Amino acid sequence: MFRGFERERIATDAAADPFGVAILTGPMPAPPKDAVSQLATVVSSRPCGSDAVVLRLAPERPFEPLRASRFFMLRREDGTAPLIPRPYSVYRQGGGASSSTGEAPWVEFLIKVMGRGSRALEAAPIGSQLRLIGPLGNGWPVLDGDGAPWVMLAGGVGSAPFPMAIEQALRGMDGGAAVASRDLHFLFGARDRGLLYDLELFERLGVNVHTATVDGSHGMQGHVLQLLDALQAAGSIPKQIRVLACGPDPMLEAVHARAIEEEWDCWLSLETLMGCGVGICNGCPVPTREGGALAGWPNAKCCVEGPVFAARDIELVGH
Amino acid sequence: MPSLAVRLGTLLLRNPLLSASGTYGHGLEMGGFCAPSGIGGLVSKTVTLEPRGGNPAPRLCETEAGLINSIGLENKGVAQYLEEVLPEVASADCAIITNVGGHHDHEFADVVAMLDERDEVDAIELNLSCPNVDDGKLPLATDPKRAESVVAGARARTRKPLFAKLSPNVTRIGDMAMAVESGGADGITAVNTLLGMAVDWRTRRPGVATIQGGYSGPGIKPVALRCAWECARNVTIPVIGCGGIQTVDDVLQYLVVGCRAVQVGTSSFWNPANLGDLASQLAAALAEQGIDDVNDLIGTLEVARR
Repeated sequence: MFRGFERERIATDAAADPFGVAILTGPMPAPPKDAVSQLATVVSSRPCGSDAVVLRLAPERPFEPLRASRFFMLRREDGTAPLIPRPYSVYRQGGGASSSTGEAPWVEFLIKVMGRGSRALEAAPIGSQLRLIGPLGNGWPVLDGDGAPWVMLAGGVGSAPFPMAIEQALRGMDGGAAVASRDLHFLFGARDRGLLYDLELFERLGVNVHTATVDGSHGMQGHVLQLLDALQAAGSIPKQIRVLACGPDPMLEAVHARAIEEEWDCWLSLETLMGCGVGICNGCPVPTREGGALAGWPNAKCCVEGPVFAARDIELVGH
Repeated sequence: MPSLAVRLGTLLLRNPLLSASGTYGHGLEMGGFCAPSGIGGLVSKTVTLEPRGGNPAPRLCETEAGLINSIGLENKGVAQYLEEVLPEVASADCAIITNVGGHHDHEFADVVAMLDERDEVDAIELNLSCPNVDDGKLPLATDPKRAESVVAGARARTRKPLFAKLSPNVTRIGDMAMAVESGGADGITAVNTLLGMAVDWRTRRPGVATIQGGYSGPGIKPVALRCAWECARNVTIPVIGCGGIQTVDDVLQYLVVGCRAVQVGTSSFWNPANLGDLASQLAAALAEQGIDDVNDLIGTLEVARR
């Protein structure tokens, strides 16, 4: 017979959680308490850059304000291909109580159209419903104004977790001191100008925006780390910095190597292949680093223990 | 409201919906999406005697109508399961079924003996059929004598209900079903994943790091349904159907071919609330057909008379 036990809360240690969201730890890494599986209506889809769209969704059940770099799993419900949902960082959030025009609460996603999953999402008709699972993951740590300046390194579509991060840092997070705009540097790198998605949006936020493109079509010619080197050499950015980074694997591997070498306080928002986003498929292992906070088991789960990791806690080469 | 309770040997389930091993964590983590009190039971991820770090990435590859996985039984070992996981999972108001794997035959019996001492465990499922270890050779799942012997070894160490999870990668799964029944199994889970493969022809790289993996999802349902039916007609012990279930129609089909319960796996990945939703939909579907008791539907396949 059924035992009829009351469900007990899985052990959480909010005090030890620098991210301030209820990521469940203990013996069974679990999705956040505020995550739900629901349907959301496609409100709008606007082209962005040369190969992306910004998809705005109105969920049936709205969310509390979301920390930047948390993510959702998205999937079309009208058919079996593609079968597996895709993870996307929340790009922007609005509507509802924060809206003066009375629009319904919405979340936006920056979707680079590159494969079956993103093509299907791009083609989702306005008014259709998508499966939306989340909010998931931890998000960036508290961005406070009490230490070294913050440097945000974005590579291409890796810019997605940064608009909200900048807004949240300037506003102040979780009672921490707000970050002064002069202490926040957004370094945006891409192959060419067309992949510097929504650059104007970042320029309007009032922080220091610098760009680099591989083909030299905008900003410095080169990669985002070369841009950082140049800005530090010119004295525009000090040597002592705190770093957030999100971008393609080769970029993150280079940032990770530099972070270890120069002992930066550095957090990386990883994109790995995910089957579920909620910790049950075991398909998103991230190798853990000896001596780091996650040591003791060879892999962390990107979805429920990330997607943001301190550089000192993980290994990235060959990731 | 139709009666949904089903019996697997001495184990009574409130309804036939179970999670499939390896697709729902230990189950309680998913409480925010699926209340244990709404389903029949939770089947754990495979637990082995020693910790296993699992296979390298990439471990997943989406393919036509399904997913290829090669996780490699990543788990922290039975000691951690007994000390840390079981006390947490025990709070779930549903049956707790622990799935056991092993590299050597004796490991199954050793782990089963440890689980036998714990009241929190309602039943044990032997994973005879993981395709992602031993290079996909499936030694236990393809040799009836060896499967029978492993089941008998485990049987000797526990009185808890014991289920054997079989592989579809055999010519006559009915022979495997009879073998594990002879070994003393109380039930059969049919089936595990199909061996499968994907390749990116541009990069020439396989979809998963181990080259071949386990194929699951809607694409395998006809294969799995046939396997479950063949098991059910060859044994008297209950059969738990598993493979490609995503809708309540799928659940009902497995029941009609003779399954006493079902396990939901890959579809939890695209909707982690699906398992609980299916339980409610099952009641509604039976009511709509005027069926008062789910047991009245089980094994009612009509074979055309000539």
